[in-house]
Amino acid sequence: MTEKKIPQASLDKLLARLQERGTVYAPGRGASGDVALLEMPQGEPVLQDYGNFALSPKAFFLPQTQTLLRFRDGKAEEPSPPDRPVFLVGVRPCDAAALLALDKVFLDGDPRDPYYEHFRAKATIIALACTQPMASCFCTSVGGGPGDGAGADVLAVGLDTGLLLRAQTTRGEELLASLADLLAEPTAQDSQEADERIRAAEGQLAPARADDSARRLREAYDAPLWAAAGQKCLGCGTCSFLCPTCHCFDITDEVRNGAGRRVRTWDCCAYPLFTLHASGHNPRPTPKERWRQRLMHKFRYAVENHGRFFCVGCGRCIRNCPVSLDLRTALKEIS
Amino acid sequence: MSVRNPYLPYPTRIEAVAIENGARDIKTFRLAFEDPAHAAEFRHLPGQFAELSLPGVGEAPFGIASSPTEAGYILFSVKRTGLFTGELHSLEPGAPIGVRGPMGKPFPWERMEGRNLLIIGGGFAFTTLRAAVKYVLDPANRPRFGSVLVIYGARTPDELMYKDELAAWQARDDLQVHLTVDVADKPWAHHVGVVTKVLDGLKPSSENTLAIACGPPIMIRFTLLSLANLGFSDDAVILSLEMRMKCGIGKCGRCNIGSKYVCRDGPVFTRDELKALPAEY
Amino acid sequence: MTESPQIESRLRETASGLLREKKVSLFLGYEKATLPFRTAPLFLTAADEAERLVWNPFCSANLAVYLPRLFKAPADAREAKAAPAPPTVGVVLKGCDARSVVALLQERQVPREKLLLVGVACPGMVDRRKAERALGEHACLGAGEDARGNVRAVVDDGTEVTLRREQIVADACLECRAPTPALHDLLLGTPVAGKQADAARRRVAELESKPLDARWARFQELAARCIRCNACRQACPMCAGCKTCLLDQTRPRWIGAGTDASDVALYHLLRAFHLAGRCTGCGACARACPMGLDVRLLSRKMSQEVEDLYGFRPGEAADATPVLSAFSLDDSQDFVTEP
Repeated sequence: MTEKKIPQASLDKLLARLQERGTVYAPGRGASGDVALLEMPQGEPVLQDYGNFALSPKAFFLPQTQTLLRFRDGKAEEPSPPDRPVFLVGVRPCDAAALLALDKVFLDGDPRDPYYEHFRAKATIIALACTQPMASCFCTSVGGGPGDGAGADVLAVGLDTGLLLRAQTTRGEELLASLADLLAEPTAQDSQEADERIRAAEGQLAPARADDSARRLREAYDAPLWAAAGQKCLGCGTCSFLCPTCHCFDITDEVRNGAGRRVRTWDCCAYPLFTLHASGHNPRPTPKERWRQRLMHKFRYAVENHGRFFCVGCGRCIRNCPVSLDLRTALKEIS
Repeated sequence: MSVRNPYLPYPTRIEAVAIENGARDIKTFRLAFEDPAHAAEFRHLPGQFAELSLPGVGEAPFGIASSPTEAGYILFSVKRTGLFTGELHSLEPGAPIGVRGPMGKPFPWERMEGRNLLIIGGGFAFTTLRAAVKYVLDPANRPRFGSVLVIYGARTPDELMYKDELAAWQARDDLQVHLTVDVADKPWAHHVGVVTKVLDGLKPSSENTLAIACGPPIMIRFTLLSLANLGFSDDAVILSLEMRMKCGIGKCGRCNIGSKYVCRDGPVFTRDELKALPAEY
Repeated sequence: MTESPQIESRLRETASGLLREKKVSLFLGYEKATLPFRTAPLFLTAADEAERLVWNPFCSANLAVYLPRLFKAPADAREAKAAPAPPTVGVVLKGCDARSVVALLQERQVPREKLLLVGVACPGMVDRRKAERALGEHACLGAGEDARGNVRAVVDDGTEVTLRREQIVADACLECRAPTPALHDLLLGTPVAGKQADAARRRVAELESKPLDARWARFQELAARCIRCNACRQACPMCAGCKTCLLDQTRPRWIGAGTDASDVALYHLLRAFHLAGRCTGCGACARACPMGLDVRLLSRKMSQEVEDLYGFRPGEAADATPVLSAFSLDDSQDFVTEP
């Protein structure tokens, strides 16, 4: 696949060029001080030095609140989604890989989800390799890596003098070709520098025990650790909402006098009401069953159904859990 | 031709509403598609379900009570229990309603070919079994199956659904129908006792027979014991599960039992498929 | 001088003694977490595991949130009959946590006779976001407390950075009027004086002095980034008492689940109103918020209103009647207008 280089000084021009073609989201510091994908132009320099965004980019493909249907006089119509191409710049490799997991549910599963499909078709992902993993990162333990381009169209790797751009898909190739006047041929040293940075980052990652998780989880289904850890869980939803591969959603209607909409919103299997039947019966009545479901879904059921983990090791759940639940601990304990 | 949006309901109209039981909380709705092209697209097999949709109220999943051999309409029997079903019960013929489907895996009709069928239903869960029986009895289909034994029980005679059809089936000689009630609080010519009592009394042979059971959890529990005693292996026992559902198409993540989604991999499961799943339902 | 090491060993002794003597069947405390600046709640049932208990500047979670759940009878009558007797629970409580317990007692959400309250005088707990931001570019490899009670962090280049405690404690701690638990069965640590009574008032006054559009902008900072995860509600000990939250009801559905401006605003407004006279300012909501929002924006003002109108501060007297359940003939009536 094509490898090109862009000097630091030309980055602004590249972003400007992309803005001519569509809406560009690039890393910036929002009003809160947290790093996020902000719509350009931002009025502030685009960041290259950050851990990861608080919210994963899944919001671009499966928004927190999404109108599925509009109702008028009791008749249902499909909404018209925005048609402009979207460029997501600076997505971390873990978040890019997460899209491949979501594709399994929304694109591979019959029927295809037309809403997800639309946003996926419109978006070009330019990922940025990590050089300084965080203590909560464990992408290499779940089939990814700080310099892994899976799920991205182009993978950028920071160099002292600019960025190395590695095309990952046909769309990525076409993008690089269309920006040829801004790009240069990388030297062998450039490639080497990039690979070394990635290797150094890989070396910093502490392993998590995801190996053979499907079998180990199957055997550990009745283990006491689920109640022991689960009883701490507040059912707060933070983990699922921030997780780049979590995709559970609710569907509700908001209609007044015959007009309104059917909308889907993020939901969370840790919520007590998630599986509550109208009869009052709840197959997952306590935090123990719900914590177990979370682990099982991500490291066993997903493996059985899709052949991959539904976890990319981004660490958001670990960093943000208000009671410091860490699924890496559970993965270790089930052996 | 673009693929239809799976979240967009087919517009249908309620053609008729029949009250099924003495408590008047079970109604059968006969729906007709507004667009004949939609009617042609909606090809279902008994065992499948659909999501009924009312704008502003929401959606809920219901087993399809009619067989594909019943042309020009689809039937849903609905018990009034909550918000959606309450609204639905207030609708009159002529009212519009949306339908998404068909969804889920039907009863395993290829496997059922050439077999005797033992159909056991309890209470309100008989809906998809009605579809199955109508399908089997259709002249084009009947020769494909062996003997058919239906055992259907409810609390009282008034609570049995599809009374007219049950009577018509009892008059036929190409199937056996045994009706039973827990309490015969009016003149009653048939069995009294729980469904499993009748099953144990009849002792149907398990040879070359598949059993389909749909009913409340307690009935299922005892039916499974009886079927095991009669020599039915786990893969010869077919069940239909209920779960809280939303999208119905395996995307929203709500209805899973282990790695299976009840909406997409079920709701029909054999007993051995269920045994392989965690007991979380 | 920090008292953490002594408090920690007293906690371990106390917990192991209580469990061994079967005075409690469960002891709630804190243990080490896998990331710095945090601890994890510990549900201790075995006396010989008491060594897992820790006491340090990162014991920020409010353990009172677990109490209603421990004493909630199952909704199903059959399950309720078969359910085991409620446990006797020992629990480590800072000043704010103890106020939550008092408020829960006022509402009869938890039985006093089943609780053994181990109070610890609290010098203020670290807000992990403030600590992480203070380290700037550096990742923290580990953090501990020095003799002065400041935080000593080892960062990624191997060096040590000292973070002054007052600069990284949580906002709620900066406004805390009762860091030493008033209600306790046992008190550890030298009592700590509360912050000035008007620390929270000054924040409210500062916002109220701004023009309307500036105040709206401040509210929008909260509303625009809220993702409706409900973490604030789930972390709140007072919300934990409610069997069914108004905001989850479907008949009727009062509020949408999405991030539309009106739903977000309604969520926070309703929560603030439902916590009026009940919120003890522990800050568990703000700590849980994954977006780092100032979730206490409205409840700060609400607490002030309740105090000004009714002279009531929740979490002070366990036998007091909750303010909105109490009626006195000389309650202020200024807000009642002629029709």
